[in-house]
Amino acid sequence: MTAAAAQEQTHADDSTAPVLQCTRLSAGYGSVRVVRDFDLSLAEGQVLAVLGPNGAGKSTLMSTLAGLIPRLGGEVHVSGEALPSGRAAAANKAGVVLVPDDRALFTALTVRENLTVARKAGGPGVDEMMDLFPALTKRLKVSAGALSGGEQQMLAVARGLVQRPKVLLIDEMSMGLAPVIVADLLPIVRRIADETRAVVVIVEQHVKLALAVADQAMVIVHGDIQLSGLASELAASPDRLEAAYLGEH
Amino acid sequence: MTQHLQFLLLGLGNGAVFGALALAVVLTYRSSGVLNFATGSIALYTAYVYAELRQGRVLILIPGFPVTGDIGSPMSFWPALVISLAFAAVLGLLLYVLVFRPLRTAPPVARAVAALGISLLMTGLIAERFGTEAVNVNAIFPTKTWTAGSLSISSDRIYFALTILGVAIVLTVLFRVTKFGLATRAAAETERGAYVSGISPDRIAAYNWMLSSAVAGLAGILIAPIVPLVPVAYTLFIVPALAAAVLARFNIIVVAVVAGLGIGMLQSEMQLLSSTHTALPSSGLPELIPLVLILLVLVVRARPLPARGAIILQTLGRAPRPRRILPTAVVMFVIAVVAIMLLSERYRVGLTTSFIMGIIALSCVVVTGYAGQVSLAQLTIAGVAGFSVGPISTNLHIAFPFAPIVAALFATVIGVVVGLPALRIRGLTLAVVTLALAYALEALWFRNLDFVGASGVAVPDPAIFGWSIGIGSGHAYPRVRFAIMCLVVMTAVAIFVAYLRRSQLGSQLLAIRANERSAAAAGVSVAKMKIFAFAIGAFMAGLGGALLAYEQRSVTYDSFSAINGLVLFGTVYLAGITSVSGGAFAGISATGGLIYIFVDQVWSASGWYSVVASLLLVFTVILNPEGIVGPAHAALAKRRAATDRGRGAADAIDTSEPAPTQPAEAAVIDPTRTELELRDVSVRYGGVVAVDGVTLTVPKGAIVGLIGPNGAGKTTLIDAISGFAPYTGSVTLSGEPLDGRPPHERIRVGLGRTFQAIELYGDLSVTENVKVGLTSALRGKTRHDDSRSEFDRIEEVFELLGLTDVRNRPAGELSQGQRQLVSIARALVGRPDVLLLDEPAGGLDTVESHWLGSRLRTIRDSGTTIVLVDHDMGLVLGLCDQIHVLNFGKVIASGTPAEIRSNRTVTEAYLGDAHAEEVSS
Repeated sequence: MTAAAAQEQTHADDSTAPVLQCTRLSAGYGSVRVVRDFDLSLAEGQVLAVLGPNGAGKSTLMSTLAGLIPRLGGEVHVSGEALPSGRAAAANKAGVVLVPDDRALFTALTVRENLTVARKAGGPGVDEMMDLFPALTKRLKVSAGALSGGEQQMLAVARGLVQRPKVLLIDEMSMGLAPVIVADLLPIVRRIADETRAVVVIVEQHVKLALAVADQAMVIVHGDIQLSGLASELAASPDRLEAAYLGEH
Repeated sequence: MTQHLQFLLLGLGNGAVFGALALAVVLTYRSSGVLNFATGSIALYTAYVYAELRQGRVLILIPGFPVTGDIGSPMSFWPALVISLAFAAVLGLLLYVLVFRPLRTAPPVARAVAALGISLLMTGLIAERFGTEAVNVNAIFPTKTWTAGSLSISSDRIYFALTILGVAIVLTVLFRVTKFGLATRAAAETERGAYVSGISPDRIAAYNWMLSSAVAGLAGILIAPIVPLVPVAYTLFIVPALAAAVLARFNIIVVAVVAGLGIGMLQSEMQLLSSTHTALPSSGLPELIPLVLILLVLVVRARPLPARGAIILQTLGRAPRPRRILPTAVVMFVIAVVAIMLLSERYRVGLTTSFIMGIIALSCVVVTGYAGQVSLAQLTIAGVAGFSVGPISTNLHIAFPFAPIVAALFATVIGVVVGLPALRIRGLTLAVVTLALAYALEALWFRNLDFVGASGVAVPDPAIFGWSIGIGSGHAYPRVRFAIMCLVVMTAVAIFVAYLRRSQLGSQLLAIRANERSAAAAGVSVAKMKIFAFAIGAFMAGLGGALLAYEQRSVTYDSFSAINGLVLFGTVYLAGITSVSGGAFAGISATGGLIYIFVDQVWSASGWYSVVASLLLVFTVILNPEGIVGPAHAALAKRRAATDRGRGAADAIDTSEPAPTQPAEAAVIDPTRTELELRDVSVRYGGVVAVDGVTLTVPKGAIVGLIGPNGAGKTTLIDAISGFAPYTGSVTLSGEPLDGRPPHERIRVGLGRTFQAIELYGDLSVTENVKVGLTSALRGKTRHDDSRSEFDRIEEVFELLGLTDVRNRPAGELSQGQRQLVSIARALVGRPDVLLLDEPAGGLDTVESHWLGSRLRTIRDSGTTIVLVDHDMGLVLGLCDQIHVLNFGKVIASGTPAEIRSNRTVTEAYLGDAHAEEVSS
């Protein structure tokens, strides 16, 4: 193990109570079970990258954690408190904030209004969000529907941050965005985790970029975890990644 | 000129009410997806509360308690106003919490019906307590007469209009500036967005209901001194209010108010025109205004109403497949005849009326229950025949039984006209349009003294070859033979509707009800079928209307009014709008029917009938969207499923069965014969290029895979090929160009497809699901083995896909894997040349996926070329002869599975490596 990795390991061990803990979580909808017996434990400030081909269940997992879909089984605990199944308001109140894959912005409201309406007491204000996303500063009065793809994604993440999340779930942040923009956005995830100490879980298509900002990573295929471990380890073994995605040669 | 201006200004009074009610409707619709038919009665209630407070009394509307309680001295204006508005707000909150919050996941129609029930309940309660006296209230606004030249107008109307406009402006500012306002607008746009932003759509809805009721209450109070009004009129206010709300797209408050004012003014102007120009009808023109305006807006700019409400919706209700139709009909017929003979006069009339209303109710079952088109005008269409049968007999000298048939045919024509808007609009918007139509037709014709005498339209006695079959008069009334005739007609109609449900047409209608897009994909001509449904429904309603006319012998608007049409719709919904038994039960429960007579005889409580029935209606809607007969159907279905399971029908795919042996034609891939060719196909949505110049060929007999990361454009490409997305470039099937053709035509020419979100019809059995597109798909194709009957073909496909044992189960009860297979079967049964499969392995595990692969090979071997989109790399790499890889809408690689697997570009596309190297420095 390299020195950097060893430091990462101890850093993770410092904070004793996990902020997000899933025990034998099963998720799906109707008669379809998409994720089976999923276990997870994340401490504050950790970033988890959830990778895998589509149809694998990643978005369903995110929506289930956020309480938008009821769990098929298992438990979820945030800072030790159990989350009731399928109750989005309760999950949100407990500090689990989802940035959905379709962003679900309020297109009729301006950028500033999108942030004001979501802001929770004690959460960062509009100005702090502008520090994080300077590109939005000039667009505060523009309605969200008129923003570019990249700007909309930034607004969606900002709207999540003003809620002072303990667990921030970002689903497919890079979807539909040009690679150059993605390369600028993903490092912000790292910054968020470091500065706010929130747990950040990102579902991503851009494997290399995601592994560069994450602490831990897992690859989910057909609802099962094919690979999991430190992001740095996975980044160092591209053959295992390829095999997980595309099957053995 | 001045006279016109005068009348326009006169209309401001009513206009202000319409505007305020429209504002209230917009608030409740925007926040909870409820089309609040009860807004008028909330206004009525609040007006009465205010009036009583001003007299020193408190209104207590709970039955059993005294009507009012004394509070000592009369209250002055401001306290009375504030307290009344508080009452209204509390009422709004109660309605939301008790009725509409439980209905969050119910279909929009259910919510609208519940609102209707509330409206009838409240109006009924008030009418019972106060009779139909007008509300008597002292003036609120100053009633000076203002004059400008030869114009004079009472100032109170101007103040009223300005007040409402002021309220609208204040509220608009409120919604723009406050957090509550932002949250309301946010939640109205996307509920999911609200949840992830910590906004509670529930709490927002509750507050908005309180606000909406207060506004409605304010309108009710302020109009009361200006125009003395009776309970029914307040309920009728809803039609112009809904029209104004439609014009505001159920979203912009100020537009709703201005539209309301405009409608009020125009209606007043129409009244002037009616009285000054004798060529114009003397009544009905004002009522045309809402209809014309709605049609102009909706048909000209047919964007559907924004959908509101919960993320997940229940279905409308099961439409079970009737079994043993004829035996049931015979038994019921005999019982009914015995009842006719044995019942005394009043009950016999009630039973006869029940038969007739049952016929009209069955028309609602066909149009709404089966085809899913919400028509609130069925009773009015019946009225068209009812009002025509007299003149047809007398003036055109057409004898019975042809006269009622001609009348019904005339009603059919009107019914088709009523149904035309359904081609461009659906759901609640269609409901509003049909209601406006009913309202206008009633005023233009049924109430029009130009056409209808003061005592109604006389209807001659029906007679066959001189033998009178009418209901009789004096001692002979009511005659058994008339009742039997009505019974015969109703039985015939009921049998027809039952067979309709079992027919191909019935399956197609249910398919349209469930999902129009999917029905179109299965080859159903949606427009034609909708018109059919309206026509059939209208003919049935017409028959009922004619019979009702014979029963009444002198027809007045009361039997066929728009309000009564609403009541009938509610009754049918209560009884069960999706089945014949529901329609029959509705007939028995209808006003004037058997149960009504019974209640009146035993408790002399006919006034309370509507109150109790409305209460029942609201409960039923909350508990069961399928109506009263719902639980009976559910029990029956459980029993049938248990019997089927006993016979060995499986609950999951049986993967142990090997694929059937080689069929006669073993196809070989012939690379020289191109089955499907795409040339430079591009799909653009606004500024986004979803598919970018895709050119590829699919040889006959191949299994071709289409893969790529999420958002690469694969499904969009399938949509383009099958006609669901507009594209540039060309798509050719076996040399025949497909461009510009709608989906159902492409099906007929040999294309089949499945959908990623399997759009099966949960109510229909597996067999019915598969049959829906069969006839349409095969029509117009010459196939060399046409001698095989349709039945054999379906059996063959079922065997191939292992569905034989579940073929009679409703599709809604199957597992995900089985539903995938049914979806494929449905596309396969039309013998397509090319089968497009969109994620057929979705939800299948590895073993099932493998099994599916072998089945797909067999399908290919029997002559079908397959194009397959899927994320299951194991399946795709193992099954396909050729693979094309898409990314960002372009084909980035093509080749055999081995070539694709070792292609660096492909790996990078999936792992998102492209450009990462360049940028990370």
